[in-house]
Amino acid sequence: MNAVELHDVSVRAGERGILDSIDLAVPEREHLLLVGPSGCGKTTLLRTIAGLVRPTSGRLELFGRVASEGARVVLPPEQRGVGMLFQGGALWPHLNARKQLEFVLGCARTPREQWSARVAELLEWVELAGYQERLPATLSGGEAQRLALARAIAASPRLLLLDEPLGPLDEELRHSLLAKLHELHQRLGLTVIHVTHAPNEAREYATRTVRMRAGRIVAEGAEAKERK
Amino acid sequence: MSRPLVALAAAVFVLAGLAPLAAMVPRVESADLAAIFAPRNLELLGRTLLYGASVALIATAAGLPFGFLVSRTDMPFAALLRPLGIAPLLIPPMILAMVWTVLADIRGAPAAYAVSSVSTFPLVALFSARAFERIDARREEAARIAGGWRAALRSDLPLVLPSVACGACFAFVFTVNDFSVADYVSWLGQPKFSVYAAEIFANWRIESRPGLAVATALPLLAVTLAALVPALVLRRRGAMASLSGDFRQPEPFELGPWRWPAFLFCLTLVSIGALIPAARLVWEAGGAARGFEFARVGQAFTLAIERGREDLANSIVYSLCAATACAALALVLGHALERARGGRWLESLVVLPIGAPAVLLSVGVIVLWNHDWSARFYDEGGVVVLLLAGRFAAFAILIVSAATAALDPRLEEAAQLAGAGPFRTLTRIVAPSLRSALLGGWIGVFVLSLRELDATMLTPAANRTAMFRIFNQVHFGRDDFVAAMALLILFLVVLPGALWSLFARRRLELLP
Repeated sequence: MNAVELHDVSVRAGERGILDSIDLAVPEREHLLLVGPSGCGKTTLLRTIAGLVRPTSGRLELFGRVASEGARVVLPPEQRGVGMLFQGGALWPHLNARKQLEFVLGCARTPREQWSARVAELLEWVELAGYQERLPATLSGGEAQRLALARAIAASPRLLLLDEPLGPLDEELRHSLLAKLHELHQRLGLTVIHVTHAPNEAREYATRTVRMRAGRIVAEGAEAKERK
Repeated sequence: MSRPLVALAAAVFVLAGLAPLAAMVPRVESADLAAIFAPRNLELLGRTLLYGASVALIATAAGLPFGFLVSRTDMPFAALLRPLGIAPLLIPPMILAMVWTVLADIRGAPAAYAVSSVSTFPLVALFSARAFERIDARREEAARIAGGWRAALRSDLPLVLPSVACGACFAFVFTVNDFSVADYVSWLGQPKFSVYAAEIFANWRIESRPGLAVATALPLLAVTLAALVPALVLRRRGAMASLSGDFRQPEPFELGPWRWPAFLFCLTLVSIGALIPAARLVWEAGGAARGFEFARVGQAFTLAIERGREDLANSIVYSLCAATACAALALVLGHALERARGGRWLESLVVLPIGAPAVLLSVGVIVLWNHDWSARFYDEGGVVVLLLAGRFAAFAILIVSAATAALDPRLEEAAQLAGAGPFRTLTRIVAPSLRSALLGGWIGVFVLSLRELDATMLTPAANRTAMFRIFNQVHFGRDDFVAAMALLILFLVVLPGALWSLFARRRLELLP
């Protein structure tokens, strides 16, 4: 089954077209790399899949369920089974690491008695054990991004959307976070759509690359095959 | 956004702030409208416009350098003078008039111009200071590399001027709508200084012609809106021009030999606006010319608390309730204004209650609530809270909407993706992130309510407040009781900001 299917999806802001008749299918467990220059519509495509942007036309299906039809949103963002790692993390500045994760667990109606173990498990996964009481302002760039990753997967989503997750990090941290993402992708069986403007980023781990330009998909390629 | 919650908050706002104004419209007859163009009205309107524009200009001349010096230079005691500079705005203008007409022996128009300028310069100073410190260091450094400090100033000014103009617009609005200063300086004797707001009051109180009062208010309302709408646009432009995601604080300008003259300039302004008036009131409370004694100050306070206990308690309770109601409204409506499509256009509607002359709003409340079925509400404090909340909610709403504009929308999107509903996102994510703005709005409404005189003058239930007691008492002569009551008001308006400055680690958002 495909995790994501877009059929002729367009997004317009007034007279300006941001996405233009996008057709795309992302099979389950794929790690798709979405590349293209700044302003080409990559983030808008990601936000459309998440339900944060309302399409103007077209059809979007997630795991076989219609998420939006034309301009009508059928599934609101919280019902799409999606986790998202935002550019810069977008951590809630007033909540410490534990509370960031508990907030998500509470929204997902995870029984309260399981919170503590789940928080510990998530922080362990992203190598932030012992950081439970730390506020975002006290974390380094890499730590903050790993906490944002833990938050994105806290509610056990089936689809993980990554919006330029490595942007502000240095070379070493980029590699370590990519390795962590790959590990989680394998371990949790997630489908990953990874947006970046740097084509070489994450190519090592991606199963396929889609290139965008001016709101359109202009090229597709299977990374694994290319590497061979 | 929770639509039911926004609808509920909008309904409360309409009931408190817009319905009283709407209730007045049907009372206007064609004869009333014709009276707008009476020569006396036109003359008063012209005089009031000149008054407002001149005060805004003087406030800018004083406020712009003050704002620059306390926010961007190495001037001594800048951190202390900055919060002190707000005090003249918090002090009721009538109390400033009471002090300076005696101290400087000025009457009529000069007194009104001086007092209103002193009272409103902090508005320009606050807006300027905020704009100066929001200039990104890299922008300034790029200009300095190109052409030194002169080039830096040239690149900074276009970023700051919208905010300065916004502050000047607010100073204009405060001045043309104020009735108490002109009333007080005219009451002192010749030369009198009549303003347009006084004419509206007279048409209601003396002529007992509500339709005429409303018709007379229309030109002032139009003028006020003509100043407020650009102010709202400029405020947004000022914020947009200077803030970016990876912001870096600029270095302070080194004043060199001008450090101490700059300090003296700022200290003079603060002294004229707050320190000297406070000292003068202490002197009056202690017996003044009869022979000052500290023991008498204590006695005056005891007397003021004893005789004015009920008025003081009413003022505090009404202001607390109005501030709390406005903070709740501001969280919902301020956030919705910024996030909803087309919300920015509704800002003009939100500012209508502060754009309308206070007397008009007050008359509207009387028309709306002075009935048999609502007699209990009308005679008690509820109507005063409604009046004050309706009048000042816009300040809190605009402060919160400005703070929402600076809040990363991805914080809310992340909550939404996590499954949090609109109410949970608002209370758990948005409200804590906007706490400085919410508290700033709360304090702003509390202080404005406490010092309000114009709006409360006509409503009988609001006549039992401390400001009205001072207004009444001062017309029967100045004594140590009036001075002590005025000092108590001063203490109350300064207290929340002082507590915040002492104990909070972050700066209060007091500006829309």
